[in-house]
Amino acid sequence: MADKERNQLLLCAGAACISSGALKIKEVLVQELQKNGLESEVKLVETGCVGPCNLGPLLVVYPEGVFYQSLVPEDARELVEEHLLKGRIVERLLYRPTEEKVKTFIGEIDFFKKQEKIALRNSGMINPLNIEEYIARDGYQALAKVLTQMSPEEVINEVKRSGLRGRGGGGFSAGLKWEFTRNSTEKPKYVICNADEGDPGAFMDRSILEGDPHTVLEAMVIAGYAIGSDQGYVYVRAEYPLAVERLNHAIAQAREYGLLGENLFNSGFHFNVEIRIGAGAFVCGEETALIASVEGKRGMPRPKPPFPAQAGLWEKPTLINNVETWANIPPIILQGAEWFASMGTEKSKGTKVFALAGDVNNTGLVEIPMGMSLGEIVYDLGGGIRGGKRLKAVQIGGPSGGCIPLEHLNVPIDYDSLKELGAIMGSGGLIVMDEDTCMVDLARFFLEFVQDESCGKCTPCRIGTKRMLEILQRITDGEGREGDVETLEDLAYTIKATALCGLGQTAPNPVLSTLRYFRDEYEAHIREKRCPAVVCRPLFVSPCQHACPLGIDVPGYISCIKEGNYIDALQIIREDNPLPSVCGRVCHKPCEAKCRRNQIDEPAAIDDLKRFVADYARRNHLSLAVVMERRREESVAVVGSGPSGLTCAHYLARKGYNVTVYEELPVVGGMLAAGIPAYRLPREPLQYDIDQLRAMGVKFETNKSLGKDFTLQSLRDEFDAVFLAVGAWKNAPLGIPGENLQGVYAGLDFLKNINLGGTVEVPRKVAVVGGGNAAMDAARILLRMGAEEVNVIYRRTRSEMPAIPEEIEDAEFEGVRFNFLMNPLEVIGDEEGRVAGLRVQRMRLGEFDRSGRRRPAPVEGAETTIFCQLVITAVGQIPDVEGFEAGLEKDYRGNVVVDPYTLMTSIPAVFAGGDMTGEEATVVHAMAQGKKAAYSIHDFLKSDEEEETVIVGPKRIKAVEDTPVLGEIPRTKAAELPVRERVCSFAEVRMCMNEEQARHEAERCLRCDLEKTMKHFQSEADEVEVEEEVEEEA
Amino acid sequence: MKITSIDDLKKIKDEAQKMTALREGQAEFKVIVCMGTCGIAAGARQVMSALLDEIGKRGLTNVTVTQAGCIGLCDREPLVSVEKGNEKVFYGDLTTEKVRQVVASHLVNGQIQGEWVVHVER
Amino acid sequence: MEAVKGENLVYNEVDEILEKYQDEKTPLLAVLQDVSRKWGYLPRDVMGYVAKKLDLPSAQVWGAATFYSFFETEPVGQYMVRVCKSAPCHVLGALNVVRALEQELGVKVGETTRDGKFTLQATSCLGVCGVAPAMMVNEITYGNLTEERIREVLALYE
Repeated sequence: MADKERNQLLLCAGAACISSGALKIKEVLVQELQKNGLESEVKLVETGCVGPCNLGPLLVVYPEGVFYQSLVPEDARELVEEHLLKGRIVERLLYRPTEEKVKTFIGEIDFFKKQEKIALRNSGMINPLNIEEYIARDGYQALAKVLTQMSPEEVINEVKRSGLRGRGGGGFSAGLKWEFTRNSTEKPKYVICNADEGDPGAFMDRSILEGDPHTVLEAMVIAGYAIGSDQGYVYVRAEYPLAVERLNHAIAQAREYGLLGENLFNSGFHFNVEIRIGAGAFVCGEETALIASVEGKRGMPRPKPPFPAQAGLWEKPTLINNVETWANIPPIILQGAEWFASMGTEKSKGTKVFALAGDVNNTGLVEIPMGMSLGEIVYDLGGGIRGGKRLKAVQIGGPSGGCIPLEHLNVPIDYDSLKELGAIMGSGGLIVMDEDTCMVDLARFFLEFVQDESCGKCTPCRIGTKRMLEILQRITDGEGREGDVETLEDLAYTIKATALCGLGQTAPNPVLSTLRYFRDEYEAHIREKRCPAVVCRPLFVSPCQHACPLGIDVPGYISCIKEGNYIDALQIIREDNPLPSVCGRVCHKPCEAKCRRNQIDEPAAIDDLKRFVADYARRNHLSLAVVMERRREESVAVVGSGPSGLTCAHYLARKGYNVTVYEELPVVGGMLAAGIPAYRLPREPLQYDIDQLRAMGVKFETNKSLGKDFTLQSLRDEFDAVFLAVGAWKNAPLGIPGENLQGVYAGLDFLKNINLGGTVEVPRKVAVVGGGNAAMDAARILLRMGAEEVNVIYRRTRSEMPAIPEEIEDAEFEGVRFNFLMNPLEVIGDEEGRVAGLRVQRMRLGEFDRSGRRRPAPVEGAETTIFCQLVITAVGQIPDVEGFEAGLEKDYRGNVVVDPYTLMTSIPAVFAGGDMTGEEATVVHAMAQGKKAAYSIHDFLKSDEEEETVIVGPKRIKAVEDTPVLGEIPRTKAAELPVRERVCSFAEVRMCMNEEQARHEAERCLRCDLEKTMKHFQSEADEVEVEEEVEEEA
Repeated sequence: MKITSIDDLKKIKDEAQKMTALREGQAEFKVIVCMGTCGIAAGARQVMSALLDEIGKRGLTNVTVTQAGCIGLCDREPLVSVEKGNEKVFYGDLTTEKVRQVVASHLVNGQIQGEWVVHVER
Repeated sequence: MEAVKGENLVYNEVDEILEKYQDEKTPLLAVLQDVSRKWGYLPRDVMGYVAKKLDLPSAQVWGAATFYSFFETEPVGQYMVRVCKSAPCHVLGALNVVRALEQELGVKVGETTRDGKFTLQATSCLGVCGVAPAMMVNEITYGNLTEERIREVLALYE
């Protein structure tokens, strides 16, 4: 550590902390440090927002990383005296993320908190090479008890009563297995420890053998006594040399101490243990295959019965348990069956060790009481998903197991509940997968594994899984056919029913369970040749392009920017996106989420680059030539001029149709103009994009409303087809008393009013209810209109907020206060019927809901009041289609029902898209639907004879080919308006990159699009080389 | 020695516990390096040698160093725990440089190196 | 390769191994493991010799030798590099590790370097998923692999 600065104080100077008094704290800190002569030893740094703003002002003390919250000036004095001078942490002020938890170090995690350790009780705690440390922690006490005080029957009874079930996968009652082996009359008998832990992702057995080898030995001797055997074998896989070494050492020590060998504890009982090492074969984890392997043969399974308990090793009665099962035995004997059975669920007692792996923050081994919910494991122990991504599913039970999707996070972990959902406990591998995982690819991966490890003895497993693998391979290669899914199912059920051993019978499980929960993903691969997770490489050119709902050739336009050729870049963008100025500002950027650059540093700033091109064109008054395929007679009406309607109009116009767009409001743009505030999307760029449509001949009729100025019927009479895209403009009500008081505004009405130039008198204190983008917009507008205190009330926590993260950050930065875990109960009014406050219920996060988020539940009796004079409600929006024709079919939520492939409604020639169909409510999705509708309408209108070749079309600009730069290059950040200037105007917050920045940023593209062509060149080059060699030899 | 009775076992247990207590009485700190395959694969051996080297260089006599198996948090390997009295502090993601710093701050100065702490048992 | 030095010498060494396990009921796997450790692979004539000495059909010996993935029937390099290809490693970039190893060593999976130093093999789960992606060189496991770390590890064996 640096000598001169003993401590660093990070004082959060985010807007929220400043608003709650951080500056005063700073003042006091500086004074106190001076007073105590610490100014040279302690450095005070102001930082940006560090997180839980509702707990500000916040202070972090380094190097300890101690986090203090909710400070008042008096606290600052105490902190300097106690913590900085005396080195005592001030418990009272520690950061408490939820009620009781006391967290003191930033990196400290909850990994160990909810664990209950039985099998892993000694792992990591004792020196595995020192038997005395084992004995010091009650080691071999159970054996002593058994040999000196218990009869074999009593031992078996104890194990039976404990309810312990085999932890290796089968889940068969351990006690019964022991009893069966004891009851076999044949002699000698054997005890085997199955340490052939082959399930990928499971490593608890290795951990126990390496960290606590004696517990396994002790348990095996106990079992030997109980069933009447004097010889044990531990079968360890070859991949675990350290486990073998430690086990060997432990065996030698136990012999030396007389705990293995002759006449143990003077009881006349003998027992010896030997190690057998595997040689790399997954199937040897199956008990009959394992026995064959111990016998020195090929490790192939045989049909059961006879069970090993009757005829096992060398045809003698044999008791096989896996490592984790053994590790439970000594504590059961010592602390009693009741103690063990008091943990867990009715049919699954005790604890289970899971190997947490995959896209979760804390990977490793966890031992939890049975019955804990899957969500708790992933979020509380695992610490949630890596990189802030969304959870998609959890794979449990290895290659024989299945996937559990996020809808089922509440499932209690026990043998039977997991089975019901199509997974199994298995050996306890638990792989957490985020949204970037393709379930078809996953199924293929597991099947490849099984196919690899199939021993080949029975046909269903050997050939059946091969056929399944071939089909899956085909689907992930983009060559899936109709009927593939059904064939997979057929094969799967046949293999399940007919394979010889557990490996084969469970081999189809990963396919069946992914089909059960993710059938749509299979269908997307087969029908649309689309991989929704953007994983299956053969299906796409570049991940960004595949992730974009509009399918923009991203690497193509970025390569043109790099060359300085912005017109070509614009051409490429506009080919697939008619609103680049809009998208370059408000898109939620699915492309960047899949950008490969993220694996090196950060994703390329794709959206900013698009905006650069769009703004460049606007500033230089560039317009691309209007190209129309041909003139057509047919006309189409588009109702609604939001992103969906505009996009549809664009593509129809390009096809040559006569398009008229009707808009209810006085301005064109729908949600873009009336929903999104000007500081995010100024009106000039929007207008510029719309002008391009006008130039193509699209006619706009504003102030024309469906149901008032015309009807669906009149449109159908006048036009050949109709596209409805009226959005979702109706506010979902809060449904609480006081909602009609003066000063309560529905979010969308408020936004529309302000965005169209209206005004509202804004009082000092206001509250916005909701956590979506509309709520963020309303809150930020209120700040700009002079509100001094803007409170956002949201019933869950920040991580569950549906708004775009950037929006939330900006709001926070500008000074919006967030009040999480609060649900409004009542709007309180004053005598004159005006809003005076909002009574709210405090909430806590409870169980998991179907979206995989924790559902808020009220904290009984905890209510509070937020004083405010204006309330905005923004808790959801629904389509307003009441005045429309009766024939239009709607679903229970009021969304218009459309055919997913053609977007046609229940009325012929009438199509619909965008928010009113209940699709994902983002600008780019709405646009994608508009585009789809345009092509679909064209299909509907075009004559049968028309060929699909484009007669006149813009020439497709090709991407420039060059080599990407692989080293780390930091992402270019476009400038932003300082907060001071933001909150007093509606000026645009984010600036455009300058030319130099844009060209520099373009360098960061990894050119994934070239991968395929380069490989193509590569293999051609190889072939040439080979030919030459052949010639030379000749 | 051979254990032939419960009393023998108890004697060893008591002795082992006494030894540990004694060792811990003299040695203020007990440092455990997690040395499962996962730890070793992440560099625990190098961390162990750096730890011993640093303790030797500084001539610390109030520290015992021992090894253990895997504690389960393989993700943060190499892991080292520092035990003093009832407090056990786990450091994660250590490197040879970091462990030397832990010796300097925690074992010499009694200051927990907060930024690398993954868990504290109190 | 090495096994083809003076035949008698080889068989003496095999005899030593056989002797070690003479009390075993079914010593085949243990014997093959020791042979494999000694020569890196199972030379064909040694297997024939083992079959004769253990009084087993040579098909059984050959069968066992080809069944288990840790046995090689062709000569291998001095160092066996086994890279884990199981799910947790796969998810965390095992493919990049394989690619980097192939590049560093100049061989594909399943091949041995020209100097006979390294053989590159894929393996099933090494059980160190917490430090994935991982690989094993002879009996030592290395985790948290990156291209840089792979180079460092390989340098240890140069």
